[in-house]
Amino acid sequence: MCPIGPGPDRPEGEEATSTDAAFTALLEDSAEELYESAPCGYLSTLMDGTIAKINTTLLTWLGRSRDEVVGRMRFMDLLTAGGRIYHDTHFAPLLNMQGSISGIALDLRTADGGRLPALVSSVTKTDSGGRPLLIRTTVFDAGARRSYEQELLRERRVAEEARRQVEEDRARLQEALAVLQSSLLPAALPPVPGMEAASHYHTTSPDRLGGDFYDLFPLDGTRWAFFLGDVCGKGPQAAAVTSLTRYTLRAAALHDPDPVAALTTLNTVLHERYAMGDPRYCTTVFGVLEPVGDKVKVELASGGHPPALVLRQDGRADYLPTPGGLLVGILPTAPFTSARTVLAAGDTLLLYTDGLTEARIGEKRELFGDEALRDFAKGLPHTGAQQVVTALTGLLNSFGDGLDDDTALLALGVPTNRPHPANGTPT
Amino acid sequence: MSPLTTTVRDTGTGPVLLVAGELDYSTAAELRRVVTGIDLGPGRLLVLDLGGLDFCDSSGITALIVARNHATAARADIALVSVPGPVLRILRVTGLDQVFRLEPGAGTRNRAVGD
Repeated sequence: MCPIGPGPDRPEGEEATSTDAAFTALLEDSAEELYESAPCGYLSTLMDGTIAKINTTLLTWLGRSRDEVVGRMRFMDLLTAGGRIYHDTHFAPLLNMQGSISGIALDLRTADGGRLPALVSSVTKTDSGGRPLLIRTTVFDAGARRSYEQELLRERRVAEEARRQVEEDRARLQEALAVLQSSLLPAALPPVPGMEAASHYHTTSPDRLGGDFYDLFPLDGTRWAFFLGDVCGKGPQAAAVTSLTRYTLRAAALHDPDPVAALTTLNTVLHERYAMGDPRYCTTVFGVLEPVGDKVKVELASGGHPPALVLRQDGRADYLPTPGGLLVGILPTAPFTSARTVLAAGDTLLLYTDGLTEARIGEKRELFGDEALRDFAKGLPHTGAQQVVTALTGLLNSFGDGLDDDTALLALGVPTNRPHPANGTPT
Repeated sequence: MSPLTTTVRDTGTGPVLLVAGELDYSTAAELRRVVTGIDLGPGRLLVLDLGGLDFCDSSGITALIVARNHATAARADIALVSVPGPVLRILRVTGLDQVFRLEPGAGTRNRAVGD
């Protein structure tokens, strides 16, 4: 019900209590007064919508006079264009069918062109024979409620826009990471005449740039250089060191391919760049391949990196020790140790990062270790670099969550049946 | 999992930092903070007693290098004592056994070392 305030003609001077006074005021409130100044709009229309009666409240809201409305306008004339369409397609048919309709949101149009959001209820009054006579309608001002709803909608749109923006940013970040990651590793290893090369990169989290790296590239018409290493840490900072390391080693190798000289250059560059503040360094093995006849001469040097493993055609597997080589980048001058070997048909040189040997295996999570790697290598059929990498990839996968670091593998082998790749002529 | 604990003690030759627990990505920053907060003078010896270390990864190695840089900057020396086998293995592979003075240590975690 619409609550009614004290009437204007409230009696004065009576000795009644305030409650009595209120009751008196209520009783003396005429039905007409109640209709006209109710806090909601009332109107009655003929069945064709022509307005027969309308209360003062609604006229005030609409900014119109009784004379211009009664008998001259229809209910639908009070609605906005959108409101009229909704009235004709939903409101009127439902009212016609049910005889009443309640709480429908319609927009009314005020005389000055403004919009009055309203909740409208109507009931059809019939005669004793059930024939419709007129429609009684109440109109509640829904401005506050509508603006609340619109605020909710607006906030939802803002939230959706923010979510869309976050997803777009995330996609852009992943694309940037993928591009950056691909600049840290060769897309494919180049063919080396008389050799087979294979690599694998196992990442423990696709979202974080890894710190492992490797490369294989031609030096001149007869020699090839390779390196594999591990930068401390992960993420963008590690990736920056990886990038600096990769391009320094490539340039250093072209200038002077001697492995110790290349690592010394890298050490100078990293130490100069990262000497102050947060220490950044890497471990790496750098080497040069020189095919001679049916064999390949290898000279490599290590800076703090686990030793390379040489798998021989006859089933032997031995580390190629490079003791004393220091982490690259922590001291202004650093010792590096070089080692040489010759690969014959069926031999493979395996480089790896310590994700492999530091993996934890079994229920006791014991270190996999150097010995186990050598034993595993001895058990492999020595049929080529790709098979060695495939077997080790299977081993890495079998570690499951015992493998908690990125791992890079690079295998360089001399096949038993030497292929003659069409594009194998070095330039 | 055992969290990292660090205890600093002063001896006649310089501070001794007892490092116990796991030194990994999540705890290395704590060791770096503690060690760089240690006041060192020229000629002093900073001893890191690693006898209680259960685990050390590459982040931990970085923290040890930070400790070395901190000592070097103060023209002090640094020594690692009671280095556990697995950590010693990493130090050998990375060549850091040539960079750090390594000492067998006192055999127990709590005895004073470095003097």
